[in-house]
Amino acid sequence: MSIEEIIKQFEPVQHNLLNILHALQDRHPQNCLTEQALDETARYLKLTKSSVYGVAKYYTMFSLEPRGRYIIRLCVSPVCELLKANQIMAVLEKNLGIRAGETTSDGLFTLELSECLGQCQEAPSMMVNNEVYNGLGEEEVQRVLVRMRRRKKK
Amino acid sequence: MSKLVNLTIDDKKISAPEGANLLQVAKDNGMAIPHLCYHKKLSPTGACRLCIVKIKGQRGLLASCAVQVSEGMEVTAFDDELEEARKYLLDYLLCEHDESYDGSHPDEFRELIFRYGLDKKENRLFPSIWKELGYPKDESSPVLSYDAAKCIKCFRCIKACDEVQGKNVLSFTNRGIISYIVGGFDKWGESECDGCGECIQLCPTGAIVEKPHRSEIKIENGICRVRTTCPYCGVGCQLELMVRNGKIVRSNGVEGVSPNDGRLCVKGRFGYDYVQHPDRLTTPLIKKDGKFVEASWDEALDLVARKFTEIKETYGRKALAGYASAKTTNEDNYLFMKLVRTVFGNNNVDYCTRLCHASTVTAMLRSLGDGAGSNSIEDYAHSDCMLVTGNNMIETHPVTATYVKYAVQRHGSKIIIIDPRWTPLVKDAHIWLQPRLGTDVALLNGMIRVIISEGLIKKDFIEKRVDGGMKAFESLKALAEKYTPEYVEEVTGVAAPLMEEAARIYAGAERPLIATGMGCSQQVTGTHNVFCLINMMLITGQIGRPGAGLNPPRGQNNVQGVSDVGASPFTYPGYISVEDAENRRRVAGIWGLPFGELDGEKGLSTVEIMQAAYEREIRGMYIMGENPMLTDPNLNHTEEAIKKLEFLVVQDIFHTETTPFADVILPATAFAESEGTYVNSDRRVLRVRKAVDPPGQARQDWEIIAEIAKRMGKPLGNYQHESDIWDEIAQTAPIFAGISYDRLEYHGIQWPCPAKGHPGTATLFEERFNTPNGLGKLHPVEYAGQSEKADKDYPFILNTGRILYQYHSSTMSRRNKSLTDFANEAYVLMHPGDALKYGFSDGQKVHIASRRGEISNIRVQISDGVLQGELFMPFHYSEAPVNRLTRDELDPYSKIAPFKLSAVRVGR
Ligand code: SF4
Ligand code: SF4
Ligand code: FES
Ligand code: FES
Repeated sequence: MSIEEIIKQFEPVQHNLLNILHALQDRHPQNCLTEQALDETARYLKLTKSSVYGVAKYYTMFSLEPRGRYIIRLCVSPVCELLKANQIMAVLEKNLGIRAGETTSDGLFTLELSECLGQCQEAPSMMVNNEVYNGLGEEEVQRVLVRMRRRKKK
Repeated sequence: MSKLVNLTIDDKKISAPEGANLLQVAKDNGMAIPHLCYHKKLSPTGACRLCIVKIKGQRGLLASCAVQVSEGMEVTAFDDELEEARKYLLDYLLCEHDESYDGSHPDEFRELIFRYGLDKKENRLFPSIWKELGYPKDESSPVLSYDAAKCIKCFRCIKACDEVQGKNVLSFTNRGIISYIVGGFDKWGESECDGCGECIQLCPTGAIVEKPHRSEIKIENGICRVRTTCPYCGVGCQLELMVRNGKIVRSNGVEGVSPNDGRLCVKGRFGYDYVQHPDRLTTPLIKKDGKFVEASWDEALDLVARKFTEIKETYGRKALAGYASAKTTNEDNYLFMKLVRTVFGNNNVDYCTRLCHASTVTAMLRSLGDGAGSNSIEDYAHSDCMLVTGNNMIETHPVTATYVKYAVQRHGSKIIIIDPRWTPLVKDAHIWLQPRLGTDVALLNGMIRVIISEGLIKKDFIEKRVDGGMKAFESLKALAEKYTPEYVEEVTGVAAPLMEEAARIYAGAERPLIATGMGCSQQVTGTHNVFCLINMMLITGQIGRPGAGLNPPRGQNNVQGVSDVGASPFTYPGYISVEDAENRRRVAGIWGLPFGELDGEKGLSTVEIMQAAYEREIRGMYIMGENPMLTDPNLNHTEEAIKKLEFLVVQDIFHTETTPFADVILPATAFAESEGTYVNSDRRVLRVRKAVDPPGQARQDWEIIAEIAKRMGKPLGNYQHESDIWDEIAQTAPIFAGISYDRLEYHGIQWPCPAKGHPGTATLFEERFNTPNGLGKLHPVEYAGQSEKADKDYPFILNTGRILYQYHSSTMSRRNKSLTDFANEAYVLMHPGDALKYGFSDGQKVHIASRRGEISNIRVQISDGVLQGELFMPFHYSEAPVNRLTRDELDPYSKIAPFKLSAVRVGR
């Protein structure tokens, strides 16, 4: 689907801005919003460029940089922090060979930090795209990553 | 006015209008409560918290910028606790802030830092951390720089752009401490920003600063400030020029005065550099053997006087003519007109108004008795319906447009646009009617029919205020009968339901304003178009109240004034007919001349003068500050006419397309070197003041004119100062009788102002129209097809117009880097359908030919902003002189030329 086709699925009303941005980002192979996408959105909704840009930059779930197919968001808010989220972080960094904010060279994973995911009772937690993983330990993390890599091969 | 309430601030008793902003009330009463995010023109933000106060009976510290005053309020603005809290807040803000200061801008934040002793490091609690935050700078705009490290995130800029200018170009990015302001996708230069600079003017810290001359400016030393009036369009914005070492280095809008209340557009703010451009004419030039050689003033003036005298003696007094100038002051034009009438001895004086608004003025004069806008510019802010016809306001009168957008954004007012071409205001419009070029009469008659058949007329207004009452109305009704929605749709291409809705909204509105423009007036049927508008306005009673009426915004700074002071072939100062012997006798008395010396026969108009030159009836011409070789219609013909003149004097500030044809060129002053007055679109007489010395030997126009008259043996009078000339204008033109320079010191006055104590007139026609019997007159007119039609050979209809960044023949505007950085190339707009049909692509260079001439090397811009079969081109660029294509077939009533409609073909 072209950017235009994606945008046109929505009514041209300004409160659809977030929905449109989500749809555009989800459909982008690198999980991000391009300038062209923002530009066409602005024109479609009769907004100025900066008001679309401001929204895209405000919400951490949007990215203007190309990202991996799987976005791993590790919670670093207090409860998870307390339950050693930093160890999970180390596992992820080691396994993926990248640091927070970076993308693996095969374009598969992007590692990000996140505010509280609302899963405190089963902390530490992370999300991979839209799936939530709770009560993480080293093994659990490794397993998830293997599963994702395998999924790609299919 | 709302009722006054009593309150106390720090025990001081104050009365203020109920509901007023507490911070503003304190400010107005001399109490300097610190504040950064509040600005009078903006809605309160409540971001900086510095304006905190205590109010008896309310808990905690309240931001006074968000409090409305009420009866009995007891406010504490200053005590130790509040001052301590403010200091803490400032200290905190300071730590994320780059406090270096280059002195090139005002800085409210810095002032507060000093006021609270925080300039001394030992008084601070927080260490400076801004360097670690990695704030960016944005230098991508041609006119301004943004430095996030100096930004305190007060959001005044965002609101200035949104609430004041109605553009909403700015936003902020990220969150919390690392957020900052962005234009576009974090690149100001690629955003929709048009460089008006409102955000610069309202930024309290110098995070946003003008680029031009920045390094030359030290605010605190060697700067003098001069208040004057903008030299570009007819809004008449009040600006303050900053001058350093005899050079203009910055221009700001003056806050708190009409018509602009601090607002400017890009031309007013960045368009002053032409004044100090090296191309300026600095000495008189005389053509000898086809070449211009420098001459002394004496030599040049003597030659001019001798030649004009010879022509007059050889061919009679009707052989001379003059073009006055809508760019120069009333005083200059008044003397110019006086020279033509008393020294040349005829009435052959006219100027570019004939090329722009003569049709509007003619129709208004005949129907309403005055040819000027009936309302104030600020009225747009409170209007509930604005009918904008043939008026690309956002580009041609950008500051007026800010009020229009304000009305839409604040009050949900409705804009109805009638324009064959897309203009930026369409974005804010409720309805856009897009009639085919030249079909306005049919469209408006159609609207009139809807109004009549749906019973939306105002009967008692017609009976009381329209000449002939309901009987006159009946004949309009009979004429309108055949303009059924179906017929109108067929002629104009406008969908019937849209046209009907527009008619209903207009007729039913409480305060509807009509803003006409060149699109309506520059047609062979220009006068008829305006008659139709007036008919519609009269039968619905939509005139004669604040906020209701008809307003033609004036193109140039002083178009209004030049007519007002009588530089017209038909009227003396104050719109009194040339043929009115009684008035001529009165004026002859003022001028100290025998009555018989004043010619009582109408003179020739702008285009007629050229035609007479072509016929060799006019032999000598004096052109002041006009450039007919670019702006007159049918340029090829104009060129031949000018070449036939025996003697041509051009007085200007630059060489223009016209000066090569001159025998003598006289260097005049630019606006910033002149004293005098202009009259803007809402009839406001505004002062123009000298800020810098003219280059070389350039002299102010009126002085040159007076010298020529003297040397022709007929001195015009003894004027020591421009105010002496003004006083004479006030004597000859009753509409100005009560105005003198001392009254214009701080703000303008709107004419008519018949007496010293009179406050001026904001709204025309409240009680009566200015016609002899005080009644408005209906002029039913039929739609007639255009004589110029597209055909097989010339398949396109070409429309012409203006753009924001250039001005008129661009002699001035193109000599400002800031403006040319925004736009500097001619183009022609073509509908995508046509591009496909004829095989043109975007960016391709084409030539365009009409039945009269041809121009080449024009870039095609494909756009659905024009209708299929129609083209649009701006007329500013001398390398693309679009008037080689236009016609000089005139509107029979006003003699205006139809710039808006020429059949053309496009070729590779
Ligand atoms: S210069 Fe004018 S248009 Fe540009 S961002 Fe500032 S306020 Fe908005
Ligand atoms: S740029 Fe100026 S006006 Fe805009 S938020 Fe920053 S400090 Fe305030
Ligand atoms: S703190 Fe991590 S999920 Fe709430
Ligand atoms: S001025 Fe009131 S909060 Fe900033």
